[in-house]
Amino acid sequence: MLNNMKKSKKDLLLQYTGLTILAVIILIPFLIGFWTSFLPTEEISKGILWSNHISLNNYITAFTQTPIIRYLFNSFIISFLTMIAQILFCSTSAYAFVFLKFKGRDLLFYAFLATMMLPFEAEVIPNFATVRSLNLLNHYSVMIIPFLASAFGTFMLRQAFLQIPGELKEASDIEGLSHWKFYAKIVLPYSRISLYTLAAYSFLTSWNQYLWPMLTTFSDNFRPVQDGLRQLQSQESFNNWGMIQASAAIVVIPTLIVLFFGQHFFKNGLNEGALK
Amino acid sequence: MEEQLNKQFKPLNKIAIPKLQKLKKIGYDVNAKDKIYAFLFLGPSLLILSIFVFYPMLRTLYLSFFLTNTLGKPTVFVGFNNYVNLLTSSTYLNSLKATITYVIAVSMLTLVLGILLAQAASKKIAGINFFRTIFSGTMGVSVSVAAIFWLFIFNPSVGLLDQVTTFLHLPTINWLTQPGWAMLAVIISTVWMNLGFTFLIFFGALQSVPKFLYEAAEIEGASKSYQFFHITFPMISPTIFFISIITLIESFKSFGLIDLMTAGGPDNATNLMVYRIYQDAFLSGNYGSASTQSVILAIIISLFTLMQFKLLEKKVTY
Amino acid sequence: MKYLRHFLEFTFYIRKFLLAALIFLATVSSFGTQASAKTRTKIVFWHEMTGPAQVQLNKFVNNYNQSQSNYTVIPQFEGNYNEAVQKILNTHGTSASPALFQSMDISTNQIASSGYTTPVQKFINEDNYDVSKISSIARAFYSQNGKQLSMPFNTSQPVLYYNASLLKKYKITPPPVDPSYSDITRVAKQLYQHSDKKVKGLSIEIYGWFFEQFLANSGTSLANNNDGHSGTPTSVSFDNPAAIAAMKWIQTNIKNGSFMNYGAGTNASTNEMASFLSGKLGMFLQSSASISQLTAGTKDKIGVTYYPHLDNKKANGVSIGGASLWISNDKSLQEQRGAWEFIKYLMSPTNQASWQSATGYLALNKGSQNEPVLQKLYQHYPSSKVPSLQLSKTSPNNTNSGVFMQGLIQERTSVQTAMEQIYNGGNIRQALQEAENSMNSAVKSANKANKVQN
Repeated sequence: MLNNMKKSKKDLLLQYTGLTILAVIILIPFLIGFWTSFLPTEEISKGILWSNHISLNNYITAFTQTPIIRYLFNSFIISFLTMIAQILFCSTSAYAFVFLKFKGRDLLFYAFLATMMLPFEAEVIPNFATVRSLNLLNHYSVMIIPFLASAFGTFMLRQAFLQIPGELKEASDIEGLSHWKFYAKIVLPYSRISLYTLAAYSFLTSWNQYLWPMLTTFSDNFRPVQDGLRQLQSQESFNNWGMIQASAAIVVIPTLIVLFFGQHFFKNGLNEGALK
Repeated sequence: MEEQLNKQFKPLNKIAIPKLQKLKKIGYDVNAKDKIYAFLFLGPSLLILSIFVFYPMLRTLYLSFFLTNTLGKPTVFVGFNNYVNLLTSSTYLNSLKATITYVIAVSMLTLVLGILLAQAASKKIAGINFFRTIFSGTMGVSVSVAAIFWLFIFNPSVGLLDQVTTFLHLPTINWLTQPGWAMLAVIISTVWMNLGFTFLIFFGALQSVPKFLYEAAEIEGASKSYQFFHITFPMISPTIFFISIITLIESFKSFGLIDLMTAGGPDNATNLMVYRIYQDAFLSGNYGSASTQSVILAIIISLFTLMQFKLLEKKVTY
Repeated sequence: MKYLRHFLEFTFYIRKFLLAALIFLATVSSFGTQASAKTRTKIVFWHEMTGPAQVQLNKFVNNYNQSQSNYTVIPQFEGNYNEAVQKILNTHGTSASPALFQSMDISTNQIASSGYTTPVQKFINEDNYDVSKISSIARAFYSQNGKQLSMPFNTSQPVLYYNASLLKKYKITPPPVDPSYSDITRVAKQLYQHSDKKVKGLSIEIYGWFFEQFLANSGTSLANNNDGHSGTPTSVSFDNPAAIAAMKWIQTNIKNGSFMNYGAGTNASTNEMASFLSGKLGMFLQSSASISQLTAGTKDKIGVTYYPHLDNKKANGVSIGGASLWISNDKSLQEQRGAWEFIKYLMSPTNQASWQSATGYLALNKGSQNEPVLQKLYQHYPSSKVPSLQLSKTSPNNTNSGVFMQGLIQERTSVQTAMEQIYNGGNIRQALQEAENSMNSAVKSANKANKVQN
């Protein structure tokens, strides 16, 4: 009995040690980044990482000397509008594939599926030519319009809508509900978990866009934050490490906070999306 | 939550279904306006996808058979020449090889570490939620932030790793300027970025394995590793497959970290497919060759996506 | 119907959400239209200046905008030189394109043949602007058949920097002002050994520009048809004695341990400079544009020499580097006029003098030399005169006046790949030969695509 208890105590210690080691490995890049963001660049560039000259100066520089706030604002607008559009258009298309009967529906659905196989990265050349001829370059719309609809989102919501009992549709037909009303008042609320997941997914995907905005934005007025950070980093001709780390921190802290509070919900949503 | 909703809708069914059957008998057409609605509901998506997904793929295919002038206009039809040139060029083959090395290493490491983290976080001990939060933390990190963090760690003169090696009197490693090390550096950074998401998915999968299976095994006296390989592993294998394909596809499309950390160097060691397309098209202006590379990339990714669909089909019937 | 009332609340939120989105869209789209009410003409100006050069350039822009009320110059940073070229070509004719842009030396041929620009000669003639006060070597680089295509703006010379205080500390004789490869090897090796291997002797960034200058300084052409000065080049030569000698010199230093490889690209030059400033690196090759940053960044005394040359041959001289200013022809005449006015402002003696003292780019206006800012600079840092001395001692010929051909960005990519192989111990001739072959096939298909007659 005593032996057993000793063993489980040892076990517990081992478990905590293991967990702590893993946590430290994951955390190191964060910790180094945050720590150096408080140090003066002169000391960082001399390799002095144990300094007691801690200050918020780098943050002040980042906020006042760089357009970091503008970048964040741009990213927010682009991601938010993309999210709204995708929820709307993906849900209407998914509705059409599930509840509407029309000629060529299956064919269209397969066409939608096929687009999921084509990576956007392989299509940037003609897409650039398209947005150029539409005169969309260097504007928010260039980062929103190509992503208004998504085959992945449609597919995901179709899976969710298929879970809605068929009798509900028949019942609402009798009640005289139009498709629009059925869609807005029953289908959407019924599938709200999947909608939240799509919202989170599309927002994050848009927020993390890197290649496309890099090719299509030419001024800080529209540049999103990913490319803004690239910009900040490349225009320092001798690395202002402190300021760059501070800007990275400014960008990452809000998402970490959102993640921290939304963790529970996000976990459920993701598993739902992944396993259904 | 869905159960609740089902309950709410139940009464509606009870009244409505008999009524509907009556209506059908007298020949009431319930699908009258479907066509108009299909047009309204699908139209916007179709338009966007046609302009930005279908058309560009055809156009890319078309461009891949041409040489383009400095302004990007196709001028000379060369048939399959671009393909032949690429597939016989040692730098392109090296880029393919580098991409495959990168993709396989990233997927394997992401998978193994993801399961390890999920397994570790499944222990029911005090404070475990704290660890779970940390493990999922990299989900909130975007590509440019990750690149900045890791660039500092790998920095040759002030970076953390340099300080550690100096302290231990080990030879300095030029992480980002020696081909092998640069690849490793990029792989480490990518895996780190992937871990948060992978962890969350695997953690969810582990939670869904029925507890009684372990309890039974425990009674039988099965070891922990036996339990892992004979219960956990088979139970989460669909998730493993799902994650590996997602990671494979995403790694084939890697661009941001490469652009920020190595710019494809040194000696093209990290010049992965998408970065090369960018370089050829948007730096050198060789749109023909870049289009050919895009077609090859699209073919590879299509194959993996098809595999993913097959998997999803299986899941639906689960 | 009453069964559905549960969801009214939900749809209410949805509606609110959509409304918010609409308002959002409206505010967002109004951003673009707000400013058009002003009477000033906007001149969008694309540049690729980083660090102190960007700071100084923004100062010029602000001063210019305050000095007059017809135009507002809007500077926009477009990343590195390589990226900017395709951006310029790709956006031409759209509302995103600039009225005035900066483009690097080796892109001159490409930009000129795109037909997207208005030669500055037009405005020179209209204004009877006296161009003779602008350095003729720099002007020649950006002109064609006596017509000025663009205005040289930031002009630099590649030079070698050394940390004089560090050499003094280890009792090492500094390199002569016109050093040969072995002069540099000697200093690098001594520094590495005397410092007990703590200080690296030499670094040369993996940068096609330096490769081109090794050839230029040895009097060797990189492309045929006299580096493109007598016709469109149809082939290039990397695997030649001049290149081999330079690469051998680098490998010698790598083998004796005194060489530090920082790689290629933006990260490389920043890391290199950081090491130099913190006393971990003794010498490096870089643009004269780094001078001000170096002198401001350390208390150590900094020495500057000419570009190193072959051991038993006099230096042929290097070509100028940097970039010039171009006026796009897709903008209104008024905008083009504004762009030209701003160019004139930048080229004034005073501004050119401040430009050199703030950056290290050479003051191109002959009147600048008498400006107090420059007089003071030369007094404090005599070595800052070295780049302009190097420029003035060079007699221009076909091999040291730049390479006139399209696709030079690809040339740099291939050369840099070869350099990376060589820096990591690869076979010199094999690496150069491979790069040469790949560039030659690129030249061939590019000429075919652009319908150049061979």
